[in-house]
Amino acid sequence: MDNVCEEEVFSNLFKTNSKTVFNYIYYKFGNEEKAYDVVQEAFVKLWENCAKVSPEKAKSYVYTIANNLYLNVIKAEKVRLKYADRTNNSSYESPEFLLEEKEFKEKLDNALNSLPENQRTTFLLNRIDGKKYAEIAEMEGVSVKAIEKRMHLALKALRDQIEGI
Amino acid sequence: MQENYLAKWLNNDLSEEELAAFKKSAEYASYEKLMQVSGTLEAPDFDIDKAWNEFKNNQPQKDVKVIKMNPMRRLWRIAAAIVVIFAASYFYISTLDESVSTQYAERNEVRLPDNSEIILNADSRITYSEKNWAKERNISLQGEAFFKVAKGQKFTVATNDGLVTVLGTQFNVENRTGFFEVTCYEGLVSVIFNGKETKLPAGNSFIAINGNVLNTESPAETTPSWMSNESTFNSIPLNYVLDEFERQYNIEVKTENVNLEQLFTGSFSNTNINLALQSISTPSQIKYELEGNNVLFYAENAP
Repeated sequence: MDNVCEEEVFSNLFKTNSKTVFNYIYYKFGNEEKAYDVVQEAFVKLWENCAKVSPEKAKSYVYTIANNLYLNVIKAEKVRLKYADRTNNSSYESPEFLLEEKEFKEKLDNALNSLPENQRTTFLLNRIDGKKYAEIAEMEGVSVKAIEKRMHLALKALRDQIEGI
Repeated sequence: MQENYLAKWLNNDLSEEELAAFKKSAEYASYEKLMQVSGTLEAPDFDIDKAWNEFKNNQPQKDVKVIKMNPMRRLWRIAAAIVVIFAASYFYISTLDESVSTQYAERNEVRLPDNSEIILNADSRITYSEKNWAKERNISLQGEAFFKVAKGQKFTVATNDGLVTVLGTQFNVENRTGFFEVTCYEGLVSVIFNGKETKLPAGNSFIAINGNVLNTESPAETTPSWMSNESTFNSIPLNYVLDEFERQYNIEVKTENVNLEQLFTGSFSNTNINLALQSISTPSQIKYELEGNNVLFYAENAP
């Protein structure tokens, strides 16, 4: 039977989950350095308790630890995100369009930062990391319906803010 | 429109009617735009391999921790090793020959598996295999011993000088350096000395000193005299007598101007040293001085 204490099993868990743990904490608090530390500390805890945690439970164990680590300590900072440049033919766009696009992104950045932490985390885990609502629910320890609610509210709040309603 | 329809829409969970209705709504265009732009968002860089290496470098005691989880495993290994060692030693010891020996001024009685008896005189040693005793009754002897052999298969006593074979009888074998004596008290004993077999009936002795076979004499007793605490000699060179004296009393004998070749006939006590010293010195016309653990025999006419 697989055991988290086996190096191969453990290293697999680390490699498939560490980036999401990092993003998850970053979306919440906007601090890269702290998010990086959380990844290390959460996996140290998992390693120390590898004999008690089954491989199936290891993932949610790591998120629970990550959640608890800095929940009350970190002061939320601005989340800074990048935008992938998906349009190679951007030079053909009209200057007006480019300006509009730039303004939209700025508004989106601001809107994201003014979202409640749990809505922003849910929204970004879905949009950037492609996590399904069920996965996010597992990470956050809430029901899928609660995640759908956060997602709905996040979308609504973002639009309202961007449109200036 | 159902609850949380924006989340459902993003997840493609709206029914066709709902989707059509949503698309007709005024806000649809801005949600569409929001979905499209947010789809190009990217998180800060995170190097998984770098993080993994850092994690590994901060966990130098990995292996120790794994062992800690199973402390019983180490114990089991030790226990298994001990069991193996004991089993091996038992097997080894059980195949070894039995050995009984006596020191100076000591006697010992051995009862063999078939109830044959061996009484060991001082400074003697027998070796035999208890395991194979039922198959072959072989004893190897250094020194002197009296044998009471139970009836049965051939019983063999091997010494450095000669081989004694019997079927069931009582006999005494003495083998010291240069001295070999077999006395039969009951039944018939076969003695092989220098490749020559001699049949020895009850009441006869076979004596060889330095390879020379002497005339056989018949003892009067039914057991050797040493078993009644007396050492008896019949025309035996004095040096063998003194050797026996050393063995019986665990004492060191020195001589001065004494002819050790002269023959001695007589006996000495194994319990009273003064009596024994007189028994040896008087017939040999020598004197002695006893000092602690040393005795000096010297010629009467010595200066």
